Amino acid sequence: MDNKTGMSPFDAAFHASAERHERFWIFGVLVMLVLLTIGTMFYVVHDYGLVTGTQSYATDPQAPAREAAFQDGKVVRTGPNSYAVYMVGRAWHWAPDVIHVPEGAEITFYVTSADVLHGFEIQGTPVNMTAVPGVVGTVKYTFRHAGLFRIICNEYCGMFHHAMVARIIVDPAGTP
Amino acid sequence: MNIEIAANTIPSAVSESDSTAASMRRLMLAFLITGFSALLIGATIGPFQALNYGGVDVYPALRPLLQSYYQGLTIHGVMNGYVFTFFVTCGLLVYLPARELGVAPNLTMWRTCFAVMAIGALCVLYAMADNSSSVLWTFYPPLKGSPFFYIGITLLALGSTMPLPILLKMRATWRRHRPGEITPLVTYMSLITMLMWGLAGVGVMAELVLQLDPWSLGLIGTVDPIVNRTLFWLTGHPIVYFWLMPAYVSWYGLLSRQVGGKLISDPMARITFALLMIFALPVGTHHQFSDPGFSSIWRGILVVLTMSVATPSLVTAFTIGLSLEYAGRLRGGQGWFGWFRALPWGDPSVAAQVLAAVTFILGGATGIVNGSWQLNAIVHNTTFIPGHFHVTVGSVTAMTFMAISFWMVPHLTGRQLISRRLALFSVWTWFVGMTIFAVGMSWAGLYGVPRRAWVSALPHDTYHALYGAASVPLALVAAGGVLLWVASYTFFAVFFGTLLFGRRAAPPPVPFAQSFGGPASFTIDSPPNPAQSASPLIRALDHVWLLTGITTLAAIAAYIPILWPFLHHVTRAPGWILW
Ligand code: HEM
Ligand SMILES: [Cu+2]
Ligand SMILES: [Cu+2]
Repeated sequence: MDNKTGMSPFDAAFHASAERHERFWIFGVLVMLVLLTIGTMFYVVHDYGLVTGTQSYATDPQAPAREAAFQDGKVVRTGPNSYAVYMVGRAWHWAPDVIHVPEGAEITFYVTSADVLHGFEIQGTPVNMTAVPGVVGTVKYTFRHAGLFRIICNEYCGMFHHAMVARIIVDPAGTP
Repeated sequence: MNIEIAANTIPSAVSESDSTAASMRRLMLAFLITGFSALLIGATIGPFQALNYGGVDVYPALRPLLQSYYQGLTIHGVMNGYVFTFFVTCGLLVYLPARELGVAPNLTMWRTCFAVMAIGALCVLYAMADNSSSVLWTFYPPLKGSPFFYIGITLLALGSTMPLPILLKMRATWRRHRPGEITPLVTYMSLITMLMWGLAGVGVMAELVLQLDPWSLGLIGTVDPIVNRTLFWLTGHPIVYFWLMPAYVSWYGLLSRQVGGKLISDPMARITFALLMIFALPVGTHHQFSDPGFSSIWRGILVVLTMSVATPSLVTAFTIGLSLEYAGRLRGGQGWFGWFRALPWGDPSVAAQVLAAVTFILGGATGIVNGSWQLNAIVHNTTFIPGHFHVTVGSVTAMTFMAISFWMVPHLTGRQLISRRLALFSVWTWFVGMTIFAVGMSWAGLYGVPRRAWVSALPHDTYHALYGAASVPLALVAAGGVLLWVASYTFFAVFFGTLLFGRRAAPPPVPFAQSFGGPASFTIDSPPNPAQSASPLIRALDHVWLLTGITTLAAIAAYIPILWPFLHHVTRAPGWILW
């Protein structure tokens, strides 16, 4: 809009200065956003293990939960310092609901649900994945400190959603 | 103004005194009252939820009315998030353009819009009141509510898109009489908002009409959880813009006049709205960063897109900030911050909007956290998320709508606000309460406190073992909630008090802002404005169908790769009723 008629000198001066600052601001905004994007992407690549992956899909929503690995609910050793954990969410508990894993080992969680959506959050870590019936999701995590961690359901699943809590006990490295 | 004389020459023009204008005012008032009545219900329940997080369980005492926390939370989310915002928006985005253009809207269609949404809202209320549908406002299947719930939501969503044809028709009428002119700003912003929403609505409409409606009626046995979740967020992300853009309409289109100044840049407002529309649709799946089934490449693209969404809001911060500065300096404000103090703070409508804009700094910052993947993993589905959106929709939208009601109720009814002081008190308390509340919620989220959880019903020891570390932020949540109670009830006293008992006075006009170099009025019978030598960019942006086309293509390009694998691995999940 270049219609200068009717602009007082104060208006005209303010307008001109505003346009200058406007370009400055937009440039600043774009630079900031590019840097933020690069920053978060770097972080992701750097710590790639936290990406939620997909192991399998099934037509029958309960099929994954019936597989032997999920039925056993054991912590499976898969390498010198790596373990797999198979976890099923059901209203309103996790199975298994107490597990022991060693400090410093790479743990792969395989997570599914046998009924509705649940949220697999390990409190105090960035592990956070939706448990979907019929889908097995995966996420890897290495606990750097021994201690008690809690799996808290963070996707609404009905009346006792708030009580759907399980425990992970991270044993200090070196204990058998 | 000599509208009355001109009204004789242009058949479609409305004058203040004729019966069409009176019908418009009545209908607008109906939208406003219905919307705020929904907020009355929602805002009554909200503080109970805040107390819950503070460890205080009031739900046993509410038993005859509410069976559980989750029933209350469903009502809170639906009433505030859908019913309140939809009614106010569908009123405003027809009324304001009609006034700006001086053209009558199609009243039958506008009444239909009201009726469809009202029937929808009653169905949903019924389904929530009998606890048959405590599925929360996101209603993720395979949780299964009653047919009244899904059909009610379907009607609400359908009705909320009906202003679109009304706007298109008004704009066409106006343009026929004023060939070659650019669509006036408020009409442009309203139209872009409704076009965006019409497109976005396709997701949830498909989810409801193809899946959840027939499923709840027993016509189909199973649904696919992840496909439906994805369709929900196709609409569920743009809905946050449907909450935000009406507030921006007021900030760009009215606020500069209310503070006694001008809008610094009309083009910037248009660019902002065009960008919001284009970016709103393709990024919906950033709500699903934590879901299995999305490729890492896609997640990376989403981060970039999501960051881009921040651009229009940052531009808004600049343009609105500068318009306020201009007014403040005209009013004699000096120095770095003098202009801010010099704003007309005694006007509750101004105070509410400026304070809303201040809370949006927090809202924007927390939004950037949500958008950035790795940080998202930490905060996903914790109280951080409701912390974020209460300083967006819970402040920006709610406070701006409150601000609008402060001039609009007098404008529509010819009754003065019963108390300017009480109105000011309510918005300041809302501002302080919401800030404390949101800081508490966001901070507690960093301790992994889950959202949507009846934590106060846990045994005392368990609550402390799980969330004791977050006791300070959770106490802030409860304190903020109590303040918000005071704020909202004060507001409702002013709102309903004015409607019933306000003293009769001359109704104030709609405070349309003038932009730098722009004309004072755009009504159909105002002098032609050929000197509006708009830049090529602004002329291009006036081709709203081009923008719609680009947005559609972007959305299709974004969603085909996402939905493709899901549609090839369909899960047939039966429904569950677990509350
Ligand atoms: C009166 C002041 C308010 C208070 C104290 C309040 C409190 C809360 C709390 C504590 C939650 C989180 C519940 C949970 O995750 O378990 C919540 C959720 C929510 N609030 Fe508010 N709120 C208020 C006003 C509003 C307003 C004005 C809006 C929108 C216009 C709004 C929209 C929502 C929505 C959409 C949810 C999400 C519900 C869900 O997660 O299912 N609230 N509110
Ligand atoms: Cu749950
Ligand atoms: Cu979003």
